[in-house]
Amino acid sequence: MAGIGFEIRKILERDSYWSVIRAYGYAGMVSGGPWVLSILSIMMIGVLAVTLGVGQREVNAFQICVTYLMAASLIWTGGMQLMFTRFVADRTYADDKAEVLPNLFGVLMFTMAGGFALAAPFIFWFFTGPFIQQLLLLCNFVVLSGMWIGLIFLSGMKAYRRIVWTLAKGYLLGIAVGLAASQWKLNGLLLGVLVGHSYLLFSFLHHIVREYPGNGLLKFDFLDRKRSFYSLFAVGTLYYLAVWVDKFIFWFVPYTSEAVIGPLRASIIYDLPIFLAYLFILPGMAVFLVTMEADFAEQHDRFYRAVREGDTLMHIEHRRDRMVYAARQGIYEIFKVQGLTVVLCLLWGRDLLHAVGISPLYIHLFYIDVVAVSVQVLLMAILNVLFYLDARREVLIITGCFFLTNLLFTFATLHLGAESFGYGFAASVTVSAFLGLFILSHKFNRLEYETFMLQN
Amino acid sequence: MNRVIETEAGDQSPGPAGKPAEKLATGPIVAPVADIALLLEGTYPYVRGGVSSWVHQIISALPEIRFAVVFIGSDPSMYGPVQYQYPANVTHVETHYLLRQDRHGKPGARAGNRRAFAQMDSLHEYLRRGGEIPGKEMMDAFTRLGSANGISQEDFLYSRASWEYITEQYRQRCTEPSFVDYFWAVRAMHAPLFVLARIAAGLPPVRAVHAISTGYAGLLGSMIRLRREIPFVLTEHGIYTKERKIDLAQATWLHDHNDDVCNTLHDEMGYIRGLWIRFYEQIGRMAYGQASPIVSLYEGNRQRQIADGAAPERTRVITNGISLERYRAALERRPETVPPVLGLVGRVVPIKDIKTFIRTLRILVNRRPDIQGWIVGPEDEDQLYVTECKELATSLGLNDNVKFLGFQNVLDILPQLGLMVLTSISEALPLVVLEAFASGLPCLATDVGSCRELIEGRSEEDRALGAAGSVVPIADPQGTAEAALELLNDAGRWRQAQQAGLARVARYYDDKLMFSSYRNLYMETLAPGSSGTSGFSENAGCTVTHPV
Repeated sequence: MAGIGFEIRKILERDSYWSVIRAYGYAGMVSGGPWVLSILSIMMIGVLAVTLGVGQREVNAFQICVTYLMAASLIWTGGMQLMFTRFVADRTYADDKAEVLPNLFGVLMFTMAGGFALAAPFIFWFFTGPFIQQLLLLCNFVVLSGMWIGLIFLSGMKAYRRIVWTLAKGYLLGIAVGLAASQWKLNGLLLGVLVGHSYLLFSFLHHIVREYPGNGLLKFDFLDRKRSFYSLFAVGTLYYLAVWVDKFIFWFVPYTSEAVIGPLRASIIYDLPIFLAYLFILPGMAVFLVTMEADFAEQHDRFYRAVREGDTLMHIEHRRDRMVYAARQGIYEIFKVQGLTVVLCLLWGRDLLHAVGISPLYIHLFYIDVVAVSVQVLLMAILNVLFYLDARREVLIITGCFFLTNLLFTFATLHLGAESFGYGFAASVTVSAFLGLFILSHKFNRLEYETFMLQN
Repeated sequence: MNRVIETEAGDQSPGPAGKPAEKLATGPIVAPVADIALLLEGTYPYVRGGVSSWVHQIISALPEIRFAVVFIGSDPSMYGPVQYQYPANVTHVETHYLLRQDRHGKPGARAGNRRAFAQMDSLHEYLRRGGEIPGKEMMDAFTRLGSANGISQEDFLYSRASWEYITEQYRQRCTEPSFVDYFWAVRAMHAPLFVLARIAAGLPPVRAVHAISTGYAGLLGSMIRLRREIPFVLTEHGIYTKERKIDLAQATWLHDHNDDVCNTLHDEMGYIRGLWIRFYEQIGRMAYGQASPIVSLYEGNRQRQIADGAAPERTRVITNGISLERYRAALERRPETVPPVLGLVGRVVPIKDIKTFIRTLRILVNRRPDIQGWIVGPEDEDQLYVTECKELATSLGLNDNVKFLGFQNVLDILPQLGLMVLTSISEALPLVVLEAFASGLPCLATDVGSCRELIEGRSEEDRALGAAGSVVPIADPQGTAEAALELLNDAGRWRQAQQAGLARVARYYDDKLMFSSYRNLYMETLAPGSSGTSGFSENAGCTVTHPV
């Protein structure tokens, strides 16, 4: 067990309420940090820009642009993120670390140059704004694509503390530059995020290049079918498609949306509650990190050590039971903590929306979204356990289910009317989480059989 | 039918009639492709050596009998090209590898046939008890192997039923901590059985099978005999089970998990090591149960076969022989005076105990400085041992007296020697002793294998011919040196020993005798009415209904 789990253990061992809060606070920061920090800083740029005299229309356009850039770059790189993480893990396990760096540049080349080639025609064709704006959008997309790769790579290295710290600095820089350039309105704000994300990309790279030895500049071994798992590519892409598909539907169905800038549309009723709701996953994400990285990972490691190093069958089974217990306990803890968060949101949600000046009309959608994103944390925990067990096929089935149900259910809610908005996403996450639990339980029940009898 | 058909494991290459081999075996009236199928594990035609040249000799000497050569190897990478030119009477050739991993398909979860695994349990029960296995039990087990409604290889490797059976057995019996070791041992032990079952099913019709060892070849013989009711002859040169036990006792790939806390000086053998040994013992026992006759090279091995479970009335001895003409030239080139040269002809490996030979020379050279010791044989098998031997010779100051000559033509070497010496700690029937006798050279040999029989004679009549040298104790340089001096310093005794050797090899070890013994044996076996159902099969408690 390395990295974050160990650090959290150390804090927890001090054995006081304060240390528990610190440990979970820390875990929350590192796990939910990137997510929450980016949402918060985009919101903050908006709020501050308005006070600096930028028109609300411009700020809205800015936020929609960034949202689309995030969604598109995540979907575009999601597959590569997972596939490359596994490639790096395998190379490290095979003691072939020097292969990693040139391949990282390969992946960056692939995602950034590929992203450029993909996005450029689209942006230049559909956006009628000034050239500088088109260029800013394009650069933002390319830089974001690269940044996700750097971020996932550092997460793989378990350099969480560095990630949070760098993210905080990067977003602060972004906010500062955005505000300083706010007289150029949308372009100035876009420049701000571009500078912030570029800073992040280059700091991540700086850190990685310093830590990793390399034996070449550019390699594309990660595309080699024998060394990589394309099923992971499918999983990563499907997962982000699933997370965003309901939003896209609401954006592009005419009666729930309006055009904002160029071809980009937004759904005023749908967007705000869900993005607010995502701020409330921090407690669950913190528990997720502590239980999975500290407890489950340790039990998982002990189980496979027992298998490899020749323990008795009884002891292997005991290790299996302990691992199952750790997984169950982790999922249960997330359930508890996220459940409490949901309850608190239900109690104080109205006041909260009021406090930030959001219409109470959003309240029901906000409630169901908080439930949905809470279940999504559970789903992520389940997928994470399955990743540990290398159950690639099972993960693919679950993410496939997530994508399809979200697509179908969201369309269904459009027909059922405004009362049911948000329930499609919630039902989809819930169905997928249950499917995940079912598959996980099945997987655990035959773990030794599969471990011994079905290995290649 | 002089065409040689070569097939490999799992191939469905057409047999002589253009039909798949499997069909041939089941068809009602199909001409056999050969009279005798030789079942050869790890030897002829890919590996040169004593057994291989014996096989080649037998095939060449019996042109009226058509042979099928069925080679069973472990992994293709371990064998080079075919080493022998097949005589014309080899009409069919098959090559199979037991450890080839690439034909099992992709691992996939499957239920497997629980009933078939439960039935396997009763066979395992018989195997554990170590007694006679009823033929029906064995027959059923062989029929289940690899069949769709029994246990297919995929079922064995990947099925839930197989997993449950293996873990249950482990829980009940394995006394060792490491489950992963047990698991792989069980896999490695059984994987070849499926290949054997496929060979047994696919072999085109032959009139009888002849295995040249127990082990996997012997097991294959049992399978074919039970499936097809054809006679199964077994010849053992060494004793396979014993050799495997020696291998396993030394195998470093097996870890014995001894309890470190209450470890005593005589540590017990690990469960898995024991499991392997029992496995080879039991497949040996199965072969003894089905084969007739069971041939050994000398009386000592016949007794061992009986001790290992062979029915005495089915055992017989057919000794090896050599071609006397071949060595007549060497005899004629022998000089008048006895050369003061001791020769050890054999591979430089620990089992030949070359070191005792070198120490013997030290003692001899002290008494007669003109004495030489030549070590004649390949040095590529155990580099470390070769180095140790050479260093020993140097440290004893024998660089002028001991020569490592490497591989040589024995016919050139024999006339230059004054005494043939074998310090081996294990032998069966060493051909070099016969070669020495035929070229007029007395022998010193340790009391292993059939050496005493060869030197002193095995029957009354044989012993009357006199001693053709001396038998010495194992690892005894002093005793060996004394015995050597007695012969070398006494020309009269030396001549006597030479004459005894010449007479003995001519009377008992002429290869013509061996060939005619095998000719008779094959004729008996192939004679109408001597099919597998008669005689010995009832002894095995087997009621064979036509299996194929």
